[in-house]
Amino acid sequence: MQRRENTIVTATIRGRAADHISSVEKPHDFDEFWRDLLKRASETPLDPTIEPVTLRSNDHVETYEIHYNSIDGVRIAGWYCRPTEQHIAPPYPALLLVPGYISEPTLPKSWAKLGYAAVGVAPRGKLRSNGQFNPGYPGLLTHNIVDRETYSYRGFYIDACRAVDFVQSRPEVDQTRIGVHGSSQGGALTITTAALRNDAITCGAAGAPYLVGFMDAASLTHSNPYEEMNNYLRLYPEREQAMRETVAYFDGVNFAPMIKAPMLVYAGLGDDVCPPETAFDLVNAMPGPVEFLTYPRCAHDAGNYWCMPRVEAFLADHLKPATREVSR
Amino acid sequence: MISTSRPADFDDFWNAVDDELARFDPAPELEVSHLRSTEFSTTYDVRLTSVGPYRIFAYLSVPKGNGPFPALFNAPRYGSVNNPPHYDDRQRYVVMTLMHRGQRLADQPYAAAYPGLLTDGIEDPQSYIYRGIVADCLRGAEFLLSRPEVQGQPAGIVGDDLAILTASRRQGFTALHVSGLMFYRMLEAARRTGSYPLEEVNDHLAFFPESASRVATTVSYFDPLHHASRVSAHTLLDLGDPGTLSGPEFVEPLCRAFAGEVDQYVLSHEGGTDRDATDAWLAAKLGSVPRPRLWAEAMG
Repeated sequence: MQRRENTIVTATIRGRAADHISSVEKPHDFDEFWRDLLKRASETPLDPTIEPVTLRSNDHVETYEIHYNSIDGVRIAGWYCRPTEQHIAPPYPALLLVPGYISEPTLPKSWAKLGYAAVGVAPRGKLRSNGQFNPGYPGLLTHNIVDRETYSYRGFYIDACRAVDFVQSRPEVDQTRIGVHGSSQGGALTITTAALRNDAITCGAAGAPYLVGFMDAASLTHSNPYEEMNNYLRLYPEREQAMRETVAYFDGVNFAPMIKAPMLVYAGLGDDVCPPETAFDLVNAMPGPVEFLTYPRCAHDAGNYWCMPRVEAFLADHLKPATREVSR
Repeated sequence: MISTSRPADFDDFWNAVDDELARFDPAPELEVSHLRSTEFSTTYDVRLTSVGPYRIFAYLSVPKGNGPFPALFNAPRYGSVNNPPHYDDRQRYVVMTLMHRGQRLADQPYAAAYPGLLTDGIEDPQSYIYRGIVADCLRGAEFLLSRPEVQGQPAGIVGDDLAILTASRRQGFTALHVSGLMFYRMLEAARRTGSYPLEEVNDHLAFFPESASRVATTVSYFDPLHHASRVSAHTLLDLGDPGTLSGPEFVEPLCRAFAGEVDQYVLSHEGGTDRDATDAWLAAKLGSVPRPRLWAEAMG
């Protein structure tokens, strides 16, 4: 499918999303690249801290602001919410809530109320984690996009993975039940975390997955954030190949084969932000059990209105949130 | 029963905001953004002075070719960032997207916290952060409506409560599309939800229960119910399901309060359908052409 003329993206004659053929190629040293980064992460002391946030706690949920170390000496923040022991007694399954591109991390009180020990992760660049790395907004997507060693998502993906280490450090968490969930960029991080931490992730639910088929996606849409790539190439057309080579190391299609846990993926077939073609490419690359839900005429909402009950049920099936009421 | 009431000094409060804003030279600085300019539009990074004084930021995109063009003002969302104007809008409109104080690109010296912004100073309307934020929106609207590229053309504004307040305080908008409400009957709404950002209000009231009456007074100045009578723009209001905070029975008093004509759009919850329908409504009001984004072929 040729879509780019003189580096300016032109209108595309689209076929059925399900018939799309991905242009993503896996670099020969993809596994080695990520193995090395994970090793570097594991050699970095986590040094977790957890501070109660009384203002945002209540009878059912205790809220904490957390911090931990990631690679490159970057300190990562997040929210941690768990049921009060008076509401529901431990142990709890852990649920990582990973953020979208435009949003700050969720403060996951509602999930904690359901019986999860829930972490709202703030990878580097998000407000509470941008003291040492701040590509600004917009800009994260194209920050050093022609160099895999300094590309923004290199540390960003690892930061999300380290949230697994955080919940594993918590005595109230059942280590055998750790899930991950998010939409858009959160969908991307769900995929990458489930892949890179396939030793620990029990299940994942990814909506409207972003950072999948980067180059294909940018050629199929003019919506943000992929439009950042089109803008970049308009200004630096000679860097297209370098961009393609870099993003291949960060593409969900190349992470998908590493996933072992059962997954739920959902997408809108009219998604102008993360084109549905790339969601099909992702699911086609996943060898393990995956439930794929598509919603006609839905866009980046990914059928959220109908899907969220399915997501909650899927996570509950696999993570079995704590429900035992403590007698008073 | 509606619990919000219009403060006795409501007009004085907002006239004082206008007066204060008028005392500050907007001192606009426009810098071409080559990264975001295309063969069909030029995008500028804009900096303006609002009350404080405080420098705020906006993207301004102007179509190339012979104008004037319809104008579109994107009021800032609740969140740390706003996207630059969309490719589709940049082809049709002179479009401005504002970053209010606290949001990225306008976060020096004040960086908003999320959660936290909604209750920052909420116990006193004079020090409430949203007093300045509304002023920021008014400054942005003044700037857009004064641009030579839009003179004689219709102007639209889209967003949440901030769009309503802006259209109320600055005449000149032909069309207003409202999606999402935050200040409308805020305390009633907060009691019915545990979701942020309204949960910020619940957190505050639970932690500072003695502040309840002060909070109620403050947010009443910002309730769009009390601003709608000054909105002459043709308004499109998104409606959600009955029984929800955007349901027809909850929003009905607001619909009745607008001075201008009001259309209601019942959300289908199909994001593509809803986006294309409201885009077409706005394009018609602004004398432009719809830009549907749904792709029949991709749905196969």
